[in-house]
This record gives sequence, structure tokens and C-alpha cells, in this order.
Amino acid sequence: MNVHLKVWRQAGPAAPGGLVDYTATGVSADMSFLEMLDSVNETLIARGEDPIAFASDCREGICGTFGVMVDGRPHGPDPCTTVCQLHMRRYNDGDTIVIEPWQARAFPLIKDLVVDRTAFDTIIQAGGYTSVNTGGAQDANAILIPKTVADEAMDSAQCIGCGACVAGCKNASAALFTSAKITHLSLLPQGQMEAPTRVVAMIEAMDTSGFGGCSNEGECEAVCPKGISLKNIATMNREYRKALFANR
Amino acid sequence: MTLDPKIPSGPLSDKWDRHRFDSKLVSPANRRKHTVIIVGTGLAGASAAASLGELGYNVLSFCIHDSPRRAHSIAAQGGINAAKNYQNDGDSIYRLFYDTIKGGDYRSREANVYRLAQTSVNIIDQCVAQGVPFAREYGGQLDNRSFGGAQVSRTFYARGQTGQQLLLGAYQSMMRQVAKGSVTMFAQREMLDVVLIDGKARGIICRNLVTGQLERYVADAVCLATGGYGTAYYLSTNAINSNVTAAWRAHKRGAYFANPCFTQIHPTCIPVSGDDQSKLTLMSESLRNDGRVWVPKNAGDKRPASEIPEAERDYYLERKYPSFGNLVPRDVASRNSKAVCDEGRGVGDSGLAVFLDFQNAIDRLGHATVAGRYGNLFDMYKKITDEDPYTVPMRIYPAIHYTMGGLWVDYNLMSTVPGLHVLGEANFSDHGANRLGASALMQGLADGYFVIPYTLAHYIASTPVEKATTDHAAFAESEDNVQSRIDRLLSVKGSKTPRALHRELGHLLWDEVGMSRTEAGLKRALARIPELREEFWQNVSVPGDANNLNKNLEYAGRVADYLEFGELLALDALHRTESCGGHFREESQTPDGEAKRDDDHFAYAAAWEFQGVGKTHELHKEQFVFENVKPTQRSYK
Amino acid sequence: MTSLKALSTSVGSKFLVALTGLSLVGFLIAHLIGNLLLLAGPDTFNAYGHALISNPLVIPAEFGLLGLLLLHIYKALRHVLLGRRARPHRYTMRQWAGGPSRKSWSSTTMAVSGVILLIFLVTHIATFKFGPYYPSADEGVRDLSRLVQEVFSSPGYVVFYVVAMGIIGMHLRHGISSAFQSLGLMTPGWTSAVLSVGLGLAVILAGGFALIPVWVYLFL
Repeated sequence: MNVHLKVWRQAGPAAPGGLVDYTATGVSADMSFLEMLDSVNETLIARGEDPIAFASDCREGICGTFGVMVDGRPHGPDPCTTVCQLHMRRYNDGDTIVIEPWQARAFPLIKDLVVDRTAFDTIIQAGGYTSVNTGGAQDANAILIPKTVADEAMDSAQCIGCGACVAGCKNASAALFTSAKITHLSLLPQGQMEAPTRVVAMIEAMDTSGFGGCSNEGECEAVCPKGISLKNIATMNREYRKALFANR
Repeated sequence: MTLDPKIPSGPLSDKWDRHRFDSKLVSPANRRKHTVIIVGTGLAGASAAASLGELGYNVLSFCIHDSPRRAHSIAAQGGINAAKNYQNDGDSIYRLFYDTIKGGDYRSREANVYRLAQTSVNIIDQCVAQGVPFAREYGGQLDNRSFGGAQVSRTFYARGQTGQQLLLGAYQSMMRQVAKGSVTMFAQREMLDVVLIDGKARGIICRNLVTGQLERYVADAVCLATGGYGTAYYLSTNAINSNVTAAWRAHKRGAYFANPCFTQIHPTCIPVSGDDQSKLTLMSESLRNDGRVWVPKNAGDKRPASEIPEAERDYYLERKYPSFGNLVPRDVASRNSKAVCDEGRGVGDSGLAVFLDFQNAIDRLGHATVAGRYGNLFDMYKKITDEDPYTVPMRIYPAIHYTMGGLWVDYNLMSTVPGLHVLGEANFSDHGANRLGASALMQGLADGYFVIPYTLAHYIASTPVEKATTDHAAFAESEDNVQSRIDRLLSVKGSKTPRALHRELGHLLWDEVGMSRTEAGLKRALARIPELREEFWQNVSVPGDANNLNKNLEYAGRVADYLEFGELLALDALHRTESCGGHFREESQTPDGEAKRDDDHFAYAAAWEFQGVGKTHELHKEQFVFENVKPTQRSYK
Repeated sequence: MTSLKALSTSVGSKFLVALTGLSLVGFLIAHLIGNLLLLAGPDTFNAYGHALISNPLVIPAEFGLLGLLLLHIYKALRHVLLGRRARPHRYTMRQWAGGPSRKSWSSTTMAVSGVILLIFLVTHIATFKFGPYYPSADEGVRDLSRLVQEVFSSPGYVVFYVVAMGIIGMHLRHGISSAFQSLGLMTPGWTSAVLSVGLGLAVILAGGFALIPVWVYLFL
């Protein structure tokens, strides 16, 4: 089948950008979305033209590298599916697909569909860890954690840091990303010690990175390829409230 | 040059303790005066950066991704081994050591492997302290599963995302050091050369992938944790950006490359569907715990699985290996898949697949239990193939997954270039000719958390280095060298894409240096690769400039390196006329078709010294001495 | 960290939006109960009105309400502006996500509905609090009931009020449950209950307030 693409092209952060039309020909249903883009690029490269810049890595939905708006939705039409796991059988011959990069002040554009998500690292640096040095850890089974708690922590911990929550939020808020890490660590005994300082520091880092605030609409949850729930944000808010009292 | 593995003396179980005591230390006050470069931020690189940063060294960390958290370790699914014996099923450090040596088909160093088994227990403690949400029992204790043919349950896991959770743990520890200022992060940098001053590794040349600028970094020592070279085969389960470039450039600067022919083919991948496929997806090996592998008894039987009666199915792994059944090691499972497909009994459109059937498990355990164990894998499978594994058996086929070979290192993880240390999959050290499931994560973290902090300190404390800056002539020479290669790539202006050439190389390597290898095939590969390389440099198309983000330029550089490296891969496979582990030479097999080792002639690591592109490498041998285990023919029958 | 600083972060600001918002909802509930006394007859309503303004606490309470309102507006507008600034370039194409998302016309128009409500509020206070003073039969008691009847005898005014109450309903439909989420009170077990109560309360308040002009127009 053939699909028509409207792809955001922008040579650099300061350069003007706009949608450019391409047609992907001979697309098979088994191709992934990225393989379809590869095929467009192959044609461009063979002709000596600058290919569409996009970054991808594992292509199995875990590294979080590739993320774009597909027809105005982060990661495209399927729930709980990264766009690298989206397959072309989802589309019909002659369909038009609009592809745009994440747009957020905290994610400055580098080129075409590639944006800089260093701000997420900055948020983790502010407190997304437990302060334990290598060596000296007690026996792993000395810390008992109920299965339900471990499972819940894992639900939050499986965030892949792709940035879809930011991209899909009208405020470009990083609340879901930030809260997922805060929740993961605050659920576990290992993370309790630093819970009050962590939540405050990470929220401040989120704010100073240029993300907006949360309007509680929950678009982030709906577009998250890992199904990270909005309850993480409620937990973050709760932890923050607790921290305000704990600090006094 | 003779290869000195620097194995400490004394009994096996005391070697590491003794070595740590004998190693020199760097005093806490002096550590910040020493700069260490760590290239790569996967499990090995991130854990090393975090640990060295905690100790107080000035660490410079580099990765090609936009964030260190994206390194390919993140994709590891199944789990991580540790000799904790929490299940009281007879595990011990010695058993993990023994299983790893045996699983590696006796082509690894006893001392290294024993150390790996020893440190495995600390890894789990460390990760739990970091908050890694490992699976738990209802009583709150850690859950374990048996994995990849092990007869004990020693694998710790976090759903099907163990690599992700371990990597994020290491990444977070590293981010903590970044905040403290002891680790400086350089993301979006590709290492393109190692700089040697006075014969010692003292720095690197990087390309800033965003601005295109070449950058120089100087240090007292360099650690490479840049992963394996599986992507040389084009289609593999490795990530798109995984590549051999850093290791290869280090090799060209004098680091010997050991056992490149030891590549691991993972038996449970989703089969290839078409020519446009860019990568293969692994289905965790844990699936073989409950899934049963079968093909039709009769060749050419193209009926759907549901229409093939029980009597006409061949559960060939259970039939041939009654004691291990579906859980035979990866190399054995992979070769058997190939064998039945070669007999024309493969399933699916391509005939290059076998069934992995869960009907039995669903009947026995119930849908919910199966979904709990493998739900995310089943979902992933369905997304890719549009088939539901709950009702239709999965189709699987082997694919390149991991590479045991790598840069040669001694017991201290130092390569043949003084100061150049190699960690994780990038080195050759611990897995011999075949890696056991759930051992890669263990090795990466062992190297980074628990080995390099000691051995690097010893190197720094015992090796005086001259004061140097990036103005040193060696940096200029190195940068010119890198620049001219980039210029050359841009100047060809041909009509073939790097991908097309890479695909061609990959197919060639898969056919001739893949699951089973012959002298004739390897010679064909050795003849063809230089032609492909020639074609590349005559006809590759790399549009755009070097002064901004140019993914295709990055890729072209990597393909150019595969085209040099592929030749060494084939050469190593040709020279090793025995079969062992992942390296199967058709000329060397037992009467019933199993791999036949030749311990008299090949119980060594083949460490190759670079002599120039297109010139034959020089072979150096590190003889393996087995003082504790007696090499036997592996049998999983 | 000082509490003041803590309340100026994005999360802290939303605490204030939520707390002030919920307080104003509390006021609305009381206000509605009071207004419904109109249905009990002019004398009851006038007596209630009189009792209310003769309370010495009414002035501080009014300033308190004004303070809550201004803080609510300030923090909410700042939140909106921060959100705008966080996305300098808009997408060419945009779709709502659907699925578990709570995005609705109500949630997307909070700023607009808020501004309309502010305009309404000014008119509302000008019309009633600062409207014509009709003395009632009782000495010193204002005949608010007459004022209400006069105002709502105009169909245009009735329609304006009903529409305004619809907008209040929209604002509260998202606002109430959102406040609980902002304050971290939306625990998993209570999520659907809070969402339903928020919706129910929005409908009751908007419906109750809209009932008064309609009822006055039709029956008084």
C-alpha cells in the first residue's frame, strides 16, 4: 500500500519549520511505523537528499528514544503502544499521516523530529534515587516488601521516559514522569528516608526546567505507552503535602 | 607480545580477596585529582560511573543516546542470576561458577568466572538497596525463577523488564553523582578514537552528534563499556544504535580483539517477516519454562497448528534432551531449530520458524497465571505479528542476540593497551563460547559496581602518567584521523545507502558466519567482505553535512567499521576448526550432530592484533588453564 | 523550605487553587441554601437576608471571600500562563486522547469559564448587593425579594442567569474533582467516588441556582 505523510521538517532549533509531504510506497502491513519511515529515508538518501531526522533505538518499546505525534496524538492511535511498536497494518492504502515532534519549551528541538529531553535527566538528578553507595548494602532479603507493594512500585517504575506525557499535555507538564519516579521510590522502604526532600527537590527541578503545571486532565495517562496511571500524580501531591508538614 | 591474564595465585575462592588486598589504593583525598573516562552508559558503564563517582574520582561519562538511560541494557527482559540460594535448592557460588564455565563450553577463565559468581550476591543486595522493584513472594521475600536451563532457581527478575529496572537503578545512582559534581555527563557523543600518549590510553575523540563538532577529552584512564557487535549481522535483537565502532577503533589502536566468532544466537525471537525489517524482537527465554517447542513430524506440513494432531507433532527438544527438555542452553536450542527447519519442517510462510506452544501451560496453570507470567510478552508478540499466543502457538526463530567475544582483557579488565579498560559485553572475559541466560546483566553490573573500582584504583596508583592536556600532539593526530574519515564518507556521494550495504553484509554474515559455519562458507565470506568494503567506499551515499545532527552519517561510519570488523569475525571462525558453544563448525560434530570441542588444540582465547585494514590479523593465544573444573563434553540429554 | 516558597511551586500553587476553589464551593453551597428560601416566601427570604447583613462578621467574611477569589484567580491564571509558556510552538494537528483521559469541554475551558464567571460575579453583585434599595414593611429590613422579582421579570436576565449557571456547572464539573486530585486526596479506592461527587455537586449547584430565576419568572 501507499501512505501519504506530512512530516515536520526543521533544519535546526532556530530555523523555520513546516510540514513537508512525502509518499511512502510499497508499504507492507507487517512493517513497523519506523520501518515505513526508514523506507522513505532510503529513497531520500539514495537520491542524495537530506533524510528525515529521527532517533530510535531498541524499537521494541522500552528505551523510550523514539516518540512523535502521529495525527495529533503522542505515539499514535493505539493505547499503551509506543509508536515504534505501531505496525502499518493499522493503516489503509491512501491514508494520510501527520508526523510532528514533541513540542515543549523544556524539550528544545534539535532537528526535524528529534528533541532534547535532557530535562528529564535533570529531574532525576534532583532526587530520583536512593542515596546508597556501592557496597555495604544489607542482604536483599533483609528488606521485606509485600508483593502487592512491589507490584505497585513496578507499575510506576516502568516509565520509559519517552516524554509522551509532556507532549500530550496542554501545559507540557512533566508531572506524570516526575510523579512516577517519586511514587516508585516512596512506596518502597528503601525510598522512605529521603521521601520528603525528594519530592520537593524533584518538583522544583521540574518547574525550573520549563515544564508547565498539571491541570489534572489526565491526557498523559491516556497517551502513556506504559499505562502509567494518574494516581501517581495524586501520590506526588500527597507526598508533597506530607513534606510541607514534615519540614516544620 | 605475550598475553598475561594476571590471574592471582592461590586457591580459586581466595583469588579475588587476595587480589584486592594486593592491589594498590588511591587515597580518598587524591581521587578527585584523577580523571576517568567511561564510554557507554549501559549496566557496566553506568554502574562504573556511579561507583567511581561515589569513590571521589572525577568521572567523565559518554553516551551516544540523548540520555544515559536509553542504553540497550534497558531491553534485557528475563532476569539476573545470583548465587543467593534463597530457594534452598542447592545453589552456591561454586555451582554458579561451574554452570557458567560449563555453559560457556570451557572457553573462559576460571578466575574471572569465579569472581563473577562471588560478586553476584552483592549485586542483588546493591540493586535492592537502590529500590529496584524485583518480583516478590507474598511473604515479602524476593522471588526467583529457573532460567535458561539452570537446574536451580537463581534468577531475580522484575516482570519482563529486569534490564530496564537494573539500568534505571544504575542510571539513578549515576545521576546522583552528576548532581554532586563527581560525574560529568556527555550525552549525544560518539567515541571515534582512543588517544594514546606514551603508549597509554589517555583520552578519547568524540563527535558531538548534535553540533557535529569533534571534541577532545583527556583523562588518566579510559573505560569502554560500549556493548557487543551483534549489529554487524544487520538483523539482530540489538538496538539500532548498538555498534562496534568504539571497540573497533580501540582495536585499531592496539587493543586485541578476542574470540569474535563466539556469537550467541537466541532461540526465541520473532521470525523475520520481510526485507524491510530493521531489527528482530526477542521473546524472553523465560517463555521456554512453560512453552513447549515443536514442529510437525512431516516435512512440508503446512496445516495450521490447531489442525495438527498431537501424534503428528515433534516436540524435538523434549525428545532429544529428556532431562533438560525445552530448557537446553541457547546454542543447543538454536541449532536444533535450524536443523528442523533445514529438514523442511519449519512453520509459517517462510518455513523459518518453530512453534512455541502454551496450550499445555494454559490448561495446567490457567489463563490468569500464564498471563501473569508472560502477559507483557504475549502482548508484544501480538502487536508485532497480529497473532494471539493464548490461542495460536507463537512462532519463533533464532536471531543474533549477544556476543561473547570482545576486546581481550586481563583479570583487571584491562586490555592490551595500558589504561584502556573494557567492561561488560564489550570485553570477552566471562561467558566463554556461550552465555547462559540472565548472566549478561550479572556480568555488566559485576564489572561496573564491584570489579573496576578496585582494579582501576590499582592501575592509577601503580602507573604514573605524565601530565597532559588536549593540546598534546596525540590528540591532534587522532582528531585529524577521525576528521579525514568523516570527510571521506561525505565525499563519496554515491548512490547506495549505508543501510543497503549493511544489509548485504549482514545477510552474508548470517549465512556464512551464523548458526553453523563451514570452511568453504567462511572463505566465501572472507572473499566477499573486502569487495563489499570497496563498494562502500566507492558508492555510499551520505547526504548532508557533518556540522549538525546527521543520523545517516553516524550510521555510515558504523557500517564502515562493520565492514572491517566482519572480516575478523569470519577469520576467527575459520581459524577455530572446533565447534564450541555458539560457534558451530559443521566439520566438528559428534555422530548425533552435537558440537564437538577440540580441547587439545583450541582451549585458548584467540586474541587478534590489528595489522591494518585488509591485512591479516596476527593471532595471540591465551591458553586456558582449568585447575578446578575438568572440561567435559557438554551433555543436556 | 518555607511554606510560602513551597506554595509557589507548580504543585504548591495548585494546592492553593484547590483550597480556595473548594472554599468557594463551600460558599456556593451555603449561598444556594439561603437563596432557596425564596421559595419559602418573601418574608422568610428577607428575614434571612437581614440576619445575614446585620451579622458583624459579614464584612470580614466578604473580604475573606474576596481574598479567596483573588488568590484563586491569580494562581489559576498563573498556572494557565505557565502552561502556555511551556509550549511556545503549537501542534498543527491535535487530538484528544480519549480512553481513561478526564479531558472534557469542561476541563479545557476552565480559564474561559472562570473569566466569564468573574464578569457574571461583578454584574451579580452590582445588581443585587448594590442594586436599588427597596424598604420592606419591617423597619430597616431590605426587601430583597422584590428586587429579585423585578430583576427576573425580564426574560433576557433570566436567560443570562441560566447560561451563567451552566457555565458555573462546567467550571465545577472539572474543578471539584480536580481539587481533590491536586491535594493528593484522590486515592485509588476513592477516585470514581470523588469524580461522581464532583459531577453531582456541580449539577446540583448549577441546577439549584438556575432554578431560582426560572421559578421567579414563571411563578412570582
